[in-house]
This record gives sequence, structure tokens and C-alpha cells, in this order.
Amino acid sequence: MDRILENFITTLRRSGVRVSVAETMDALRAAELSGYGDRGALKDFLAASLAKSLLEKKMFEVCFRHFFAIDDVVGEDFPIENTPTPPAVQGTAFLTQAFLAGDGGGLTLAFNEAAGRVDIGSIQSPTQKGLYMQRIFQELGLESLDRDIQRLTEEGGQEALAQARFLEVMRDNLIARVRNLIERQLELYARRRSEELSEGYMRSARLSALEERDLARIHRLVQKMVKQLKDRYSRRQKAARRGHLDFKKTLRQSVTYGGLPFDIRWKSKKMERPEIVAICDVSRSVSNVVRFFLLILYSLNEAISRIRSFTFCSNLVEVSHLFEKYPLIEALARLKSGAGLPILMNRTDYGISLCDFRDQYSDCLTKRTTVIILGDARNNYWNPRTEALRFIAERCKRLIWLNPETPSLWGSGDSEMEAYLPYCTMARECNTLGHLEKVVEYLLRKN
Amino acid sequence: MSIVTEKFSTVESVRLGLKDVGYIATKQIAHTVYLAFHLGKPILVEGPAGVGKTELSKAAASFMGVPLIRLQCYEGLDESKALYEWKYGKQLLYTQLLKDKLNRIIEGETSLAESIDRLHQYDDIFFSPQFLEPRPLLKALQEKDGAVLLVDEVDKSDDEFEAFLLEILSDFQVSIPEIGTIEATSRPFVFLTSNSTRELGEALRRRCLHLYISFPDQKLEREIVRTRVPGISERLTGQLVSFIHQVRKLDIKKLPSVSETIDWAKTLVLLHAENLDRDLVRETLNTFLKAQEDIRITEEKLHTLTEHALREAT
Repeated sequence: MDRILENFITTLRRSGVRVSVAETMDALRAAELSGYGDRGALKDFLAASLAKSLLEKKMFEVCFRHFFAIDDVVGEDFPIENTPTPPAVQGTAFLTQAFLAGDGGGLTLAFNEAAGRVDIGSIQSPTQKGLYMQRIFQELGLESLDRDIQRLTEEGGQEALAQARFLEVMRDNLIARVRNLIERQLELYARRRSEELSEGYMRSARLSALEERDLARIHRLVQKMVKQLKDRYSRRQKAARRGHLDFKKTLRQSVTYGGLPFDIRWKSKKMERPEIVAICDVSRSVSNVVRFFLLILYSLNEAISRIRSFTFCSNLVEVSHLFEKYPLIEALARLKSGAGLPILMNRTDYGISLCDFRDQYSDCLTKRTTVIILGDARNNYWNPRTEALRFIAERCKRLIWLNPETPSLWGSGDSEMEAYLPYCTMARECNTLGHLEKVVEYLLRKN
Repeated sequence: MSIVTEKFSTVESVRLGLKDVGYIATKQIAHTVYLAFHLGKPILVEGPAGVGKTELSKAAASFMGVPLIRLQCYEGLDESKALYEWKYGKQLLYTQLLKDKLNRIIEGETSLAESIDRLHQYDDIFFSPQFLEPRPLLKALQEKDGAVLLVDEVDKSDDEFEAFLLEILSDFQVSIPEIGTIEATSRPFVFLTSNSTRELGEALRRRCLHLYISFPDQKLEREIVRTRVPGISERLTGQLVSFIHQVRKLDIKKLPSVSETIDWAKTLVLLHAENLDRDLVRETLNTFLKAQEDIRITEEKLHTLTEHALREAT
């Protein structure tokens, strides 16, 4: 029976439910407790031990329904009860014997094994239906059943004829069931491939499949990045500082205890929440990556509560409220087009935008703030106003510039990247997920 | 423990047992609780607010006849609040009381080093279990006959605390540097609840059984109301549950939860209502709708909703 569970878990994994080895062990024990007889119990038990979020629960539901439907094909009511009295069963074929003996369990087992041997799970297209059916029939030995029926009919006699008729009914039954099984398998596995399965859950966000996947990765990466920013002040760091006696505090405390240094105080670093200010270029020069930038921005907004986001083109506007108000797609569209925002979509002006930020929003910069600028620094030969960036850099903890262009292009043409570079704590090329990953890794290494 | 094991002999006995203590469990809930008991795993319960996540663990505790130990999570919760703390006051008081005794011990020692050596023979006295203040997690481990440990709203705690929780949930033991390792005498039955304000770590999810409780269907909710609000008529129950289910389909900010259905039912019983009618509903809307905007939206459709509820319940 374990093989069934193993197959089921493989199906789950292919559908995108992450199942660990430990969970497989749990599922095994759970299946032992419930047995395969009670479908309801089995389903709840497996769901509890394998699917660990609402999304996974939904995928589990679909997989379970399809997967265990195979069993139902044979498992449920194989109507063998009105077996004709079997005096002399001359048939040698396994199927003949099983049918005549009313051995439903044996049939189920044989059926499952046959399905397993022909590897029905790898069926991919409707054109393969005939092939797989033939293979299963072969495995089950349908031919010898046919021969037995033939022989019984030729033999004549009331009993033999009755047997032959019964076997014919059973054979048709079996064929129907095999066809049914293959249909369901096809539905299950082909659907899995064509991503129809996930469509239902992703419907709320109508991104193309590729972007959806990317978004998930961006989400993960950004979360990792945020976590890393948070972790600077995390448990481990606090523990590491435990050995440092805070002499001043301890002395001060000892006054309460009559001068005895009873309550010993240790040096500890204050916990800080990361504060992030994200500034994103949405001009035409970065149009091919702007969506990617905005996805990063959106993920950042979802991951951190204390974040303020700005976009700019000819001038700079705050967009933090957009992320709360609109779902992803709408927010992206609005940000990209600037609809409903007091943003001028003329030629990019980094100088004005940075000054805008300095003049209007510099109060959100503190010693704890990390400023992330996403942009190519192509300034259309306007004044770069580096003093504004300097002002920002001096007032924040660190300034990270993510540029979609390769470093060799920085400073070429109207790119002012070289002028801005001295004020950045870190400047990186970033136009693919791989780059983003590298940025995160770099941040990790720094610690 | 054998009595408890007996209570968990079948899924049905779990379901009925929970019902006896006033918790109407769906098959799915009963199955998960049963499984968690037999696998000795914690259950992570998720679902919308007010569907009885916390209530489930309370019911489980009284069903098993063990104490419920609750740890409410919040941002900034740390080990000293969750696990243990030293009783500083007691330690201080004792040193003061024992001052003479201490003086006598180091009497006769001439140098400082010798005095300290002498004191070292007793050094751990003030860091013994008597001076330990157990917090919920440690308390749950120390319960002799087992306990139900409820870690409520685990999503509100910090990542670090979550990692720390993992440690306890996998081994059911904690180490206190001054005393040593304390192991659970009998493993507590652990429930974790989450409202998904923050995505929980994969590791924590993987270590628990997962239960998603959604709003109950009408039949179940009627049964819940009947159990929790004795003396309510069959007809009224049907009507109000049907009404609530329609409201849940509306596009409003906060959907009425099961606990609010119960509140409403209690209110209606107090008002000696026999049937729902529009005025009655309008006057009591605020028992299950908590936002002005929601009330406005519902009031607009009051007529159709009430009519439908009355029709459906007959």
C-alpha cells in the first residue's frame, strides 16, 4: 500500500506542493492509522500532514480527487456478486478466475499493478490513450480472457454459456473502467502540465504565467533581503554581545541594592526595524525593466511595514499609498502610466527629482534608513545635482543604487552614474532576477 | 494518560468528546485532532478570525481533562516572557536574609580569594529551581499529566521567536544554562493559531499538522448556535443562520464570524424574538457588523436579505 502513497506524494510534488521527507513519514503513519478504506478520513489525515497552507490545501484537494479516483474505478463496486455457480472453472486466465471467484480485492490489486507497470502517470496527450489502453489490457491478460470466453461459447451447454455471458459483461465493464481510468489520468497529468491547475488560484492576479513565477521569486528574494536587513539586530547578534558587561548600567543599578552589583547588566544592541525608502525611475529609458523594478517595489511594500516609496520621471511623487489601495496589477499599471499621480512623464530629470526628494521628503531620512534607488541615471544632460544625492547619503544609513545597465556603460553618454557613484554605499547592476539574487548575497556576505 | 488515550481511540469518540464540552467539530477537525494526538505533533490552525481557532484548543483541553496553558504572541515577545525568568526579587531577599549566615561562612578566611573560594562551594544555590519563574512554555513542559499548550496568534511574533519555538516543538526540551536540560515529563498537546498577518516560516509549517478552519456551513452553524445558545427556537436559528450566510456573501470589510452569530443569537433570545423581521434586524445589526460602512451596505439590502432568510428557513 505504501507504493500508492508514494505515487500520490509524487503527484503532489509535481503539482507544486512542497513535501518534505519528514512529512512523508507523517503521511505514512497517518495512512496506517486511517487505512485506505475510509476515504474521508484518509483525505483529512493526508491533508493535515501534507498540505500546509490554504493554497496547498486547494492543490491537494484537486490531486486527491483525481488520484484516488483511479482506485474508485475498481475499488468501489466491482459487481461480481451474482457469480454463476462455478463448478468447473476451466479458464486458466487470471481474469477468468478472478471474475468467477468474485475476487474483487485481487482484481483491484492487479489493476493497480498493471496501471503502475505501464507507467500510466506519464501519459501526456489524448493521442496516447489507445496505446495505454492496449498496454493495460496486455498486462491484465485480456487476450486469454477472450480466449476463455471463446472456448466456453464453443463448448456449449447451459452452464458454460452462462459463464461466457457473465464473463463478457465483466469484460465490457473492465474495458469501460480502464478507459475511464485513462481519461482521468490524462486530465490529471495533462492539466498539471498545462498550468491549468494553478490558474484557478492565480486568477486574482492576471499576470502572465512567466511573470507570476518571477513575482514569486522576487517575493522570496526581497523577503530574504528584508530579513537580512532585520537580522543585523537579531537574536544571534544580541547573544554575541552578551559577554560585554555594561559597567555603567550595572553600577547605576547597584545603588538600589546598597552598592552591591547584584543586578548585572549586559551591553545590548538596540533592536531596530529596518526603514526603507525606495525611489524608482519610471521613465522611458528604463521602460523595459520598469515592470521588474515595480515588482520589486511592490514586494518591498508587502514585506516591510515601514517603507516609503517614490517614483519619478521629470519630477518625484510619493506612491506608498498606491500599494495599499490597489491590487498588484492595477498598482503596476497606475505606477507605470502615472495615472492619477501628479507626476510629469516628460524627459527624465534625476537632478530635479533628487531635489524634490530633498526638499519635500528628507524628513523621512533617519540614521536607520536604507535608501534604495532603482534607475539608470540617464539624465538627458541636465544638471545631475549631485549635492542633493550627497545630502540624502549623509542623512541615511546606507544608499543602495540598483542600475539596469552594466557597469561598463555607467558614465557613457548622458549617464551620470559616475557622478553619483561616490555617494552610494553600494551600486550594482540589476536587471534580472539573477542580479537581484547577487545583490542579496552581497548584502549577506557583508554581515 | 491511559484515560486520555482511550478518549482518542476513534475519530468518532474525539468528535463526540469535543461536542460534550460544547465544541461542534467538523469531521475534518476531528480527524486532525485525532491524528495529531496519535502522531504527537502540534497543530497549526489557520482560518478567518472568529471561526473558533482558539476555542478548539480550549475544548481540547477540557476534553482531555488537562490544563490549558496559553501563550499569547505579540511583537517583541522573547524567551524571558515565554520560557522562564529568574525571580530576582526572591534572590535579593534571600541574600539579605542570609547575610549573617554568609558572613559566618566566610568568617575566618583571611584573604579575599579564600572567601570567594569558600562561597564558590555554594554558588549555585541562588540559581536553583526554587528561584525559577516558569513562563508558559516551561510550564507546559513541567505539567506532569500533560497539558494543552496554545500558542495564540503565532504570526504576531517575530521571526526570531518563531525559530526559537521550532527548537521546543521538535524536542520538547529546553536547556537552562544554570540548571541543565529540562525535558517534558509528558508531551503537551500543542496548538498554534495564526491569522496570516505575516507569512509563517516554511520550517514551522513543515513541523506541524495543518488545519484550515473556514466558516461552517449552515447545518453546522445551526448546530453550533443551538449548543451555545440554549433556549433558542429552531425556526429563529434557521432564519438567523441563513441571514448571516447571506451577509458573508456581501462585499463587506469584516465578515461576521461564528462568535458574532452566537452573540446575535443571544441578543435575539434576550429580546424574546420569535421571528426575524426587518426592524429587529436593523436594530441589532451592530452585534455582528462592526464597521459603519458594512452596516450601511447591509442595510441597503435588508429587505431582500430578510425575505430570503425567512423563505429559506421554512
